[in-house]
Amino acid sequence: MNLLQNKHVRRFGSTLAIMAVLTVMTGTAGTATAPPTTGLHGSFMEHVSYFGLFGAPRWTVMLTLTIVVFGLATALSTYGSKLRKQTAKVTALRQRVTSNPALKWPFVAAVIILALLVPKFVTQNFWQYLLVEQVGVWILLALGLNVVVGFTGLLDLGFAAFYAIGAYTTAWETGVLPMPALFHHTIPTLWAIPIGIGAAMLFGVLLGTPTLRLRGDYLAIVTLGFALIIDDFVETQAGVTGGGQGTGQIPHFSLNVGFAHFQWGLDPIPYYYLCLFFVGLFILIFLSLEHSRVGRAWVAIREDEVAAESVGINPLKYKVMAFAVGAASGGFGGVLTGGLIGFVTPTLFQYQVSVNVLVLVIFGGMGSIWGVAIGAIVLQVITSYLDNYQPWGYQLNDLYMYIGALLIVMMIFRPAGLMPSSRRKREFKEFEENHEGHIDEVLTGEQV
Amino acid sequence: MSNDLIFDVDNITLRFGGVVSLKGVSLQMKRGEILAVIGPNGAGKTSLFNSLTGVYQPQEGTINFISHEGNVTSVIGKKAHQVSRAGVARTFQASRLFGALTTFENVKIAAENHEGLGLVGSLVKGPATRRGERESDALAIELLKFVGLGKEAGKIANSLSYGARRRLEIARGLATGPDVLLLDEPAAGTNPTEKLELAELIRKVRDDRGVSVLLIEHDMKLVMSLAERLYVLNFGSVIATGTPDEIRSNPAVIDAYLGTTHEETNA
Repeated sequence: MNLLQNKHVRRFGSTLAIMAVLTVMTGTAGTATAPPTTGLHGSFMEHVSYFGLFGAPRWTVMLTLTIVVFGLATALSTYGSKLRKQTAKVTALRQRVTSNPALKWPFVAAVIILALLVPKFVTQNFWQYLLVEQVGVWILLALGLNVVVGFTGLLDLGFAAFYAIGAYTTAWETGVLPMPALFHHTIPTLWAIPIGIGAAMLFGVLLGTPTLRLRGDYLAIVTLGFALIIDDFVETQAGVTGGGQGTGQIPHFSLNVGFAHFQWGLDPIPYYYLCLFFVGLFILIFLSLEHSRVGRAWVAIREDEVAAESVGINPLKYKVMAFAVGAASGGFGGVLTGGLIGFVTPTLFQYQVSVNVLVLVIFGGMGSIWGVAIGAIVLQVITSYLDNYQPWGYQLNDLYMYIGALLIVMMIFRPAGLMPSSRRKREFKEFEENHEGHIDEVLTGEQV
Repeated sequence: MSNDLIFDVDNITLRFGGVVSLKGVSLQMKRGEILAVIGPNGAGKTSLFNSLTGVYQPQEGTINFISHEGNVTSVIGKKAHQVSRAGVARTFQASRLFGALTTFENVKIAAENHEGLGLVGSLVKGPATRRGERESDALAIELLKFVGLGKEAGKIANSLSYGARRRLEIARGLATGPDVLLLDEPAAGTNPTEKLELAELIRKVRDDRGVSVLLIEHDMKLVMSLAERLYVLNFGSVIATGTPDEIRSNPAVIDAYLGTTHEETNA
């Protein structure tokens, strides 16, 4: 019993337990016919290369990692406060850059130039494609959901619905759905952009007007229901949407205005620039909305809806606006996906998509436009890498297990997100001042 | 007579299922007066406030609010934000600030015009939008100085002391440009010094800004020194009305407070 009261013993024990779980997670998978212990046995006893040096059973690797992490945690609990001061300096530096008007514009210019040059660094066609499909589109989705969840504080569990509406509107208007296009007149894919955005916004208003009278949990459940209905509709109404098979071939974007001619095609780079342009546009729009009376009304509703109403703010009006504005960038994400991959199927808009976008928003920092954009880049690049290279025993099905673990760690150590908005940070500030989320609290269960 | 009324409440009854919260309450408030509503806990004071501000909808009776331009608003059937825009501001029993925002932002949000969509103006930021911003900034600063929070403008609302929060709520209410300010237990949780300052501020609200004040308060000393007229509620009905001196000597009020006929209250 006395042994368990020793902080170091507990820290080592917790670390060992976490590593054991990780070892099982990344180890051999069992099968339906093999004895139940096969997976466990394989996870610990399988011979693997010991960090590329020599062959050894997996448990030795586990033990080594445990010792390393234990050492780091011990060092952190001894020198943690000094380290935190250093990291605080780095964070402060970023804030000094972005809040200093003289430095702000060169900084923004540098970010834009960097973004324009990305295709020069990412030369593999495969990764260029992922950059649009897995990163660009998801930034758009996360930025849109951030307006709803981050600014206005409405938990929307069905954001994929707007993504689907954007994509299916594109398919509809380009005439590749079983249902004929509006007025039997198909349009070029590029012109589906305003129509897709408009349709998503319209659905935002139609969905929002009756449901946004609800608050909190009730609203979350209704949005979840809406997403499931849309998902089910596109899956089963084959006569309208093409059903589970999906749609026909959506033509690539093409621009033909006066002397300006451009054809998007299989090369993902032009799509990257199109996406970049719209990401920039939406960031500008959302930034100026955030710092306007509309943005302040949204925050007031998030902080206290009853009080907001008492100062003359119509909560329903502003909540519907948040839904519609957020739906705009979600809808554009759908149009872009339609043009880029050339077809739409229901699998693209499953419930998991809504959860995933929500994770990006929470990870990046609810209410922080830059945080959400950077969070989306980081998480989407990591998941694309994991999905395509499957390193260290990673399996596709494990993705949500790791994302769940990441969220738990985030909520302990950085509850306001990767790059919190200044307003959100204040909410957590009081909390963080007395409670810094120290690693030893997790490993030893002790107040630090 | 009707022209110098600001609130004309006639015979309202408010029920929640089988529970009658207000029964046949009538109340006349004159423009420019400081009127108090007192009564034991559960007497229906906050229900009356919520009915006057459009939060609750009484099933019977009428509530008319008359603005200084003479516009009559029938409060029943209106939403809280519509009543607020008509010229009725309020504070809450447990203060409800926008906690994570600064003191300044709290007042500025209330000072802004929330009509129309505002999407285009917010995106383009033309001269009208910029003028609106300047006006609401100026009003917010003026009001923060008025309630004595001029130096606290950049502080987070949640970090303010109890007394300062109460003042901030008053500033936020005034920012909507009201004819009447409803204060729900403004002195709750404040210390004796803060209470005196608060009484001073409430008088200033009426004298300097011409805003009528209707307040609910448990602190008898404060109410009696501040209010010009009182209504006493008990079990959802008005049991007495008059000047502080008349109320003090009214046997029905003494009964209600000392509890000769009903269980004790913690007034």
